[in-house]
Amino acid sequence: MSLRLVRIDDRLIHGQVVAGWLRAIGGRRIVIVDDATARDEFLREVLTLAAPQGVPVEVYDVAAGAARCIELAAKPEPVIVLARSPRTILGLRQAGVPIEVVDLGGMGAGPGRKRIHKTISVSPGEIRELREIERLGTRVEIQIVVDDRPISFASVVSGE
Amino acid sequence: MRAFRIVIAGHGALPAALLDTAEMICGPLADITAASIGPDDSPDGYADALRSAIGQDGRRVLVLCDLLGGTPFNVASAISRRSPRIVCISGANLAMTVEAALANGDLDDDLVERLLEAGRTGIVETERHRARRAS
Repeated sequence: MSLRLVRIDDRLIHGQVVAGWLRAIGGRRIVIVDDATARDEFLREVLTLAAPQGVPVEVYDVAAGAARCIELAAKPEPVIVLARSPRTILGLRQAGVPIEVVDLGGMGAGPGRKRIHKTISVSPGEIRELREIERLGTRVEIQIVVDDRPISFASVVSGE
Repeated sequence: MRAFRIVIAGHGALPAALLDTAEMICGPLADITAASIGPDDSPDGYADALRSAIGQDGRRVLVLCDLLGGTPFNVASAISRRSPRIVCISGANLAMTVEAALANGDLDDDLVERLLEAGRTGIVETERHRARRAS
C-alpha cells in the first residue's frame, strides 16, 4: 500500500504537510484530488510551487484522481493524497481506491460546523459522509501533526 | 537607502522575533513589518492580513517567508504571481533578513540573487566548513 497518507485538509499543502508528514513518511509524490482546484490553473500552479524540489504535485478531479490513485496504490513509491472534503474521499472510495485510513488533518470552523477536536470542525453532512466512508471499510482518524496520537473519529462524534 | 518595503511572513512567533532580532543587529529598521499566522488562523484571514501588510501604495515589496510550502509562503506566492511589484522568497533566515534590511536601492534581480546567496552561505557545519577553509 503506497498511499501512505490520505488526508483531509482544507489547506491542502502547507507547513504541517511539507515539514512534518512529507519528511516522516518519506513521501515522494503529492496527489491532490479536488474538483475546484483541478479547474483552476492559477491555484494548481501555486500548489505546485508549495512542494519541495523533487516532489511532483499532481492535481485531479475526483474521477481522474480515483484512476490515478488506484494506479499509484499498486506501486512502491510513497504517495500523499490530499483532499479538502470528506465528499471527495467518499468519491474515491466508491470508485474503488484502496484506502485503509483517512486522516482528518485540518477542517476549519465556520457557520453550521461543529468543532470536534482542536482544528477539526465538521458539518452534519460531513459527519454522514465520514460515517459512510467508515462503513465502506476505511478507518477515519484525527491526527493533525505526525507526533499526535491518532484519535478515532467515532470516539469524538459518538452520540451525534 | 532601501527603495522597497519588507514584510516578514511566517508561523507563530518567528516573524516578529526575526524582525526584532534583525534590529538587534542593524539598529532600528524602517519599512519592515511582520505578518504571523497562528494555529487557528484561516488561510483567507491570513491573506487579508498579508495584503494589508503589503499595502496598496504601489511600492515594491519583498516578502520573506519562513518555510517553503507553508501557508504564509503559499499565500504570498499567490499574491506575488498576480502582482509584479511583489517578490516572494522562502527560507528566510537572519542572514538573509539582515542583508535585505540593509540593502540599498531597488528590489531588482541582482538583489534577489544576493539575498538567496546570503541565506545559503551562512549554512555550514563547523568541521566541513573548517576543512573547506583550510584547503
